[in-house]
Amino acid sequence: MHERLSFYIKRDSPLHRLNPLTKLTLIFGLILPAFLVPFYWTPHLLLIVVVFPLAFLGRVQREYFAASARLILPVAGFLFVMQALFIPGGETVLAKAWFLTLTKESLMFAFANAMRIMVMVSSFTLFMLTTHPSELMSDLTQRGLPGQFAYVIIATLQIIPQMQAKANTIIAAQRSRGLDTESSFARRIRALVPLVGPLVFGSLVEVEERAIAIEARGFTSSRPKTSLREIVDRPLDKGLRWFLLFVMLAALLSRIWFS
Amino acid sequence: MKLFDSIKKDFNTMTWVLIPVAIAINVVMGQIVVVLRLPVYLDSIGTMLVAALCGPWAGALTGTLSNIIWGLAIDPNAFPWWPVAFFIGLVTGICANAGLFKTIWKVVISGFLVALTAAIVSTPIAVYLYGGITASGSSFITAYLLQTGRGVIEAVFSTNFLVEPIDKISTALLAFAIIQGLSMRFVARFPRPQNIEIQEGGGRTQLWIALVVVVVLILIAAFVLVRILAPSG
Repeated sequence: MHERLSFYIKRDSPLHRLNPLTKLTLIFGLILPAFLVPFYWTPHLLLIVVVFPLAFLGRVQREYFAASARLILPVAGFLFVMQALFIPGGETVLAKAWFLTLTKESLMFAFANAMRIMVMVSSFTLFMLTTHPSELMSDLTQRGLPGQFAYVIIATLQIIPQMQAKANTIIAAQRSRGLDTESSFARRIRALVPLVGPLVFGSLVEVEERAIAIEARGFTSSRPKTSLREIVDRPLDKGLRWFLLFVMLAALLSRIWFS
Repeated sequence: MKLFDSIKKDFNTMTWVLIPVAIAINVVMGQIVVVLRLPVYLDSIGTMLVAALCGPWAGALTGTLSNIIWGLAIDPNAFPWWPVAFFIGLVTGICANAGLFKTIWKVVISGFLVALTAAIVSTPIAVYLYGGITASGSSFITAYLLQTGRGVIEAVFSTNFLVEPIDKISTALLAFAIIQGLSMRFVARFPRPQNIEIQEGGGRTQLWIALVVVVVLILIAAFVLVRILAPSG
């Protein structure tokens, strides 16, 4: 059996116990203020005062910082350097070299922007570290999301690792027959056909069997379906969601008022 | 209600089962391309496949979920780009309904239209969310255009317009080649088999033609890039 593909870390923490929908609202309650509130310090403060403590509250700080170092920091760093150097504008020139000019304004703009991206990607990462995909899907189906959507997401998370394994097998098999996947550009392009063909056609053949199998299990039936797990929705969750909705609205209003 | 009914008809069980496989094809192809170190993404082959076989809305859904799952499972940086994937699926489906997925030259036109849409949709995301320069390698072109004194929106759009056609036309051709390799009996089980014409025994030849066109496109792009990035003077 293959592992299901996800970031999820199984722990017991206040963040894990929150309802998935609440955590989904939390993501947007962080992203919207970071992008909308027109004060320079907003994204920085959000990251330090809200996102980092949340990682500790969810007891996933080690995984969160590891993921940040691997996924978020390189992107944010790249953005920062590129934007600081290449976004035109600004009067206070700090440094000048060759055709590049570094101004105070572009530096500040680039830093705030990198921080916004950090907040955005961090909140998604935190969500995925503390929420199991099937928990999210069960909850959303109980709230009225059609079961087909839940099927698509969960099935995909299972199919991708299987397909990756299949792709690795095919690459290894074709290499052992002498397929060249490493030399010149033209050869690498030609290697695409013997790799893609078996992979794609093999996967498409299974589609029909799957369709028959799930149809036999009442996939298209419109009767209400029961769920194996009940997801709790506490009053705390409801309160938090209203609070976050208020925060998002306030962010939107501050944008309209101050600019 | 007529529109709603026609959308509903596009989502039969085969569609719902094809979508996860298509998303997996998107993801795994994206990774094979990285292994082979090719300068394209090719990460929407599955989306175009669904759009051609099951109509624009199924394609749009595949694209959107594809980005969500990419973000969920592999790289959270993929989330903000879901509208681009949505429109790639939608426009491919509309093209396919208009009969633009039947012969190889029409597929090139579809690919170009999709690329144009993708360039238009991704520009505001790049400008307003990322401030113009994004994390992809093509940002170096944007940065260069910014230095030559062009506006942010113009620079981002020109970059996208330069990069997208090669990727999207290649993707459309590969999706077409895959469809050519399927049997008519299999295609007939999907909601829109009339979008597709299969020439008997053409699968392999089509795939080769598609690849040759892809190589030529990449070479043209490389040439254009060198010309643009060369110091003017």
